[in-house]
Amino acid sequence: MSHTIDSLPETKTDETPMNETPMHETHSSAAETRRDFTTQLLAGLLGALVMFIPLVTGILFLLDPLTRKRKGATDDGFLKVTTLDALPADGTPVRMQVIKDLTDAWNFFPRQPVGGVYLRKIGDQVLAFNQTCPHLGCAIDYHQAMQAFYCPCHASKFSLDGEKQNVVPPRDLDSLVAEVRNENEVWIRFQNFRGGCPEKVVL
Amino acid sequence: MKRLIDWADHRTGFRGIMHEALFERIPGGARWRYVWGSTLVFTFVLQMMTGVFLWMAYSPSTRTAWESVYYIQNEMQYGNVVRGIHHYAAQAMIVLMAFHLMQVVIDGAYKAPREINFWIGLILMQIILGLSLTGYLLPWDQKGYYATQVATKIVGVFPLIGPQLQTLIQGGTEYGHHTLTRFFAMHAGVLPGTLILFLVLHIAAFRKHGITTPDPNRGPESKFWPDQILKDAVVCLAVLAVVMTLAIWVGAELNAPADPAEPFFSARPEWYFLFLFRFLKFHAVEQFGLAFGAIYVPGILMLILFLMPLIARIKGGHFFNLGFLSVVMAGAGALTVIAMVEDKNDPDFTHHLVMAERDAHRVQVLASGPTKIPIEGAVSLLRNDPLTQGPRTFSKACASCHRYNEHNGLGFPVMDFQDEKLFPAVETAADLGTFGSREWMIAVLTDYQNHFAPLKNLKNENGEPVGERFLNGDMASFSSDNREALLAPENKGSLAALVEFVVAQSGREFTPPIDADLVKAGRAIFETGTLKEGVIADCKSCHSLHARGEETALSEDGYGPNLTGYASAEWLKSFISNPGAEEHYGDNNLMPAYAEKLTEKELDLLVRWMVGDYYRSEEAHAAEAVKE
Repeated sequence: MSHTIDSLPETKTDETPMNETPMHETHSSAAETRRDFTTQLLAGLLGALVMFIPLVTGILFLLDPLTRKRKGATDDGFLKVTTLDALPADGTPVRMQVIKDLTDAWNFFPRQPVGGVYLRKIGDQVLAFNQTCPHLGCAIDYHQAMQAFYCPCHASKFSLDGEKQNVVPPRDLDSLVAEVRNENEVWIRFQNFRGGCPEKVVL
Repeated sequence: MKRLIDWADHRTGFRGIMHEALFERIPGGARWRYVWGSTLVFTFVLQMMTGVFLWMAYSPSTRTAWESVYYIQNEMQYGNVVRGIHHYAAQAMIVLMAFHLMQVVIDGAYKAPREINFWIGLILMQIILGLSLTGYLLPWDQKGYYATQVATKIVGVFPLIGPQLQTLIQGGTEYGHHTLTRFFAMHAGVLPGTLILFLVLHIAAFRKHGITTPDPNRGPESKFWPDQILKDAVVCLAVLAVVMTLAIWVGAELNAPADPAEPFFSARPEWYFLFLFRFLKFHAVEQFGLAFGAIYVPGILMLILFLMPLIARIKGGHFFNLGFLSVVMAGAGALTVIAMVEDKNDPDFTHHLVMAERDAHRVQVLASGPTKIPIEGAVSLLRNDPLTQGPRTFSKACASCHRYNEHNGLGFPVMDFQDEKLFPAVETAADLGTFGSREWMIAVLTDYQNHFAPLKNLKNENGEPVGERFLNGDMASFSSDNREALLAPENKGSLAALVEFVVAQSGREFTPPIDADLVKAGRAIFETGTLKEGVIADCKSCHSLHARGEETALSEDGYGPNLTGYASAEWLKSFISNPGAEEHYGDNNLMPAYAEKLTEKELDLLVRWMVGDYYRSEEAHAAEAVKE
């Protein structure tokens, strides 16, 4: 269809006349304009309504994750991760998997690895850090030559006590509460934290 | 503002497009009969919207499809509404499509110069039917699974390339992960994409020739905007209202998860394919083979539909077309009604429907329980559920002699087939509906002969009755001799105590719970037979028993059945495996041994069902407590 378009809503001419209808002249009177405006308003409102209702329902559906408290990898329970004997006496960090029951949407997975922690034995105490970098969520590495925790993604660097050592990370490494129970068992309270912000916010 | 719009128009020409889209002329004025095309566009947009939202939560694989749909339906906020809209709008689309087609044919809008547009419309119809068919499988429930099997089998009888085509569509010779990934890609990608393409062509071709007006002089000419749009919007709102009402108040169905090993006898296609389903069942159709009824006949009807614009050129052709469409519509309608009425009056179908609904409900109770859904998928919930499998095994293995509350375990009567007729089967062993309960124990103690009366019907190979050995046995004598004493009002407490002691041996959970003091009192009666008023024969002389929780056996060397752990899951397992064992009925036994007839798992689920060891939701627990 090739029409010369102008911006006036006038009757267009069709190159194939579809029937022999006489063109009705449009009488413009105040009443007709009013009626026309009411029709336009109603048509616009109803048209918007039929689209709006399902769209809003769908968006509410989409917002579902905001309404549920995640009960997956992190909660307040302490988990046994290893024994004191398994940690080197000189305080060298050791990476350990955290194993626990995992609930993911409709599924329940018993005893799954849900994350990792670095453990250091200092005397009869244990220091525990979440292995997730507080910068943007890569896993940090224990760098032996630097004697530091180092993130290979964006070069975050932390001392072995977890203090940040350059400007990349927004905060220190996320330390976790660790307890020694029954003289030898190492229990930690495993939690994940929001990345990229100076505050330590539990997820 | 105006300058901004002018600038944008100069760069894009959007005013022209808007003008083109909105100010289509409608000779004779806007009319209600022109709304059908617009309602179809609207429902399609509705499907695109809800479809994309559902897409964000759906997971196509045989172990996650049902599960994710369950999660959408029951756990996610407004999930049931979004899925409900998608489910019912799909059906609304079929109805609206029929209206649109009829209006086009009645008004002669398919004739020259609009033939090509009519053909494009018919292609759109095929795409929509394809969307319905692919979407039906995606929840991976029993209904969709078995109904879609029929469709893919029909593809398999296609001439020449049938088997290859079927394998390609299914992603393998059998249904599996790739059936779902392929169906999903078709449903959410290929088909909607093609539909949009043809819809654009359809609307463009429609605008080229304008609307077909049966009566152009009916009134003053109006425009698409706002006159026709207002009417369209009103009808769209009505469609939306119907769809939302159904979505919220009826809800989209979700059957039990697909299980190739579990038949689904109530499988039916969606209602708009019922006519074809019923058509294929006619003997006259069947005898020509599946390809005839499922491919050639529908193919020929579709071909005539395609030829309509050409037929209309012949004199009287338009009336032939009208007649043809009316006959097809009426025929399809009649077949649909016939199929529905037949199903409604078919007791077998009704039974299967009840079973299907029971499984569907049960699996959702299990999935919402604290253990959620295991990685093996929801189908394993039902396979490992005593409440689901126990009654099935009972109906298969036990119900030929026993009953369960007068039925076969599944809630249906047991029938025999003789002389070409079905009639209620004769029971030849006790009704086990109350087995191991207090009620059961009272009946055994005080009403043995009645309680085991069905044994009268049991005959050996020579046709001689053999139940007498129980009905005139020692326990029967005990029951008739001591019935009066046990049922005397002053001995009410004594009877309750004895019953409590015996049922406590099972270690089952009871409502109300076991009363430890009563158990203690009952133990004494078991040992001595001393009731509150009078003395009866004691139990320990005949029955060996090592009472639950005690260090040493209460009695040994009894010649009757050993009551240690009586009616517990372990006892039942041992009894069913070999009822003729020394510690059970010994030489008196009349029941077959099932050790070799049932698998360990079947037996385990059967007895756990019989002793009530299965998951109940908290509400079900509460409801049971109230009932007791």
